[in-house]
Amino acid sequence: MRYRLIFSAALVVATLAPYPAARGQQAAQPGPAPDISGVWLVEKFRPLLFPNGGAPFTPWAEAKFKATNPTTDDPNLACLPEGLPRFMISLPYPMEIFQVPTRVIIIHEGMQPVRQIYMNRQHLKDLDPSYAGDSIGKWEGDTLVVDTIGFNDKSWIDGALPHSEAMHLIERIRRIDHDTLVDDITIEDPVAYTQALNAHEVYKLKPGWEIREYVCAENNKYNYQAK
Amino acid sequence: MRNRLALFPVMAVLLLSPAVSTVAHHGFVSWFDMSRTVTLKGTVTSFEWTNPHSYIYLEVKNEKGAIEKWTAELGAPAMLARAGWRRDILKSGDEITAIGNPAKDGKPTVHLDKLLFANGQELSTAL
Repeated sequence: MRYRLIFSAALVVATLAPYPAARGQQAAQPGPAPDISGVWLVEKFRPLLFPNGGAPFTPWAEAKFKATNPTTDDPNLACLPEGLPRFMISLPYPMEIFQVPTRVIIIHEGMQPVRQIYMNRQHLKDLDPSYAGDSIGKWEGDTLVVDTIGFNDKSWIDGALPHSEAMHLIERIRRIDHDTLVDDITIEDPVAYTQALNAHEVYKLKPGWEIREYVCAENNKYNYQAK
Repeated sequence: MRNRLALFPVMAVLLLSPAVSTVAHHGFVSWFDMSRTVTLKGTVTSFEWTNPHSYIYLEVKNEKGAIEKWTAELGAPAMLARAGWRRDILKSGDEITAIGNPAKDGKPTVHLDKLLFANGQELSTAL
């Protein structure tokens, strides 16, 4: 019985210990990472990157934008995932950041409940396009630099702007003081925009908050009409 | 007079909007005119404490004395709870004053900013 207990304990430890997400991947970077964990909420809700217009559309994106009615075609109206970068901007819901050696995991109180940033690998090859894409990160001093590709084109950048599958995000996330986190996002999408877009989001720490249940489809009265 | 219902449309520029509204969600900028506010004094007929939005349904008497059925849209329960709301805070028959942004399409719907209860209690949807 004693050996069985020891074996069980060892099994639990081995199961719960942080490990590379897949065999053959490198372990996370050595050394303590800056602490960005906690529940965060945007300081000010800004649903649009270009509230007065002026986005540098390519003809492809401009046609798509003009053909879209935000009162009926916003993917949010169908409770679809926000995708990136909308997950990080343009949303008035809290997120909780967890850090383990191989990943930064963000749980969100919105329609897309989780985002994972892999700290121990390069981008996967032959990615299936997805709402969140494939995020890899590394620490540069106090800044978490995140590179994301592999998107589908079903989500919006913010509350209005389209993007293509070619979108590439570079984020610089850092805690500028105990209560404040910032994310500077460079949005490159040569199919949709003639120049890179920049977003700057500020989050405030919310001590004592917990991420609660959010089931968008429970009583959604909006009529999504996008095809 | 105490029970008299009245509709008071108020055209006003919102100089101070909440930093983070608990209501903002489904394309609300597209649906609601955030540059105007409407004040509705009426009686609650039902209250839905649900995702992605909660709703207050109320009857409001207009200037001509006719009853209008209005809907006030709120945020998700999780965010509302953080702003002091509870699932049992309203019941049918409660007299309230709802202040919010009207729908752009003219339908009798508001994006709720603030609620005043008959006893003077005030509750905001902002954190």
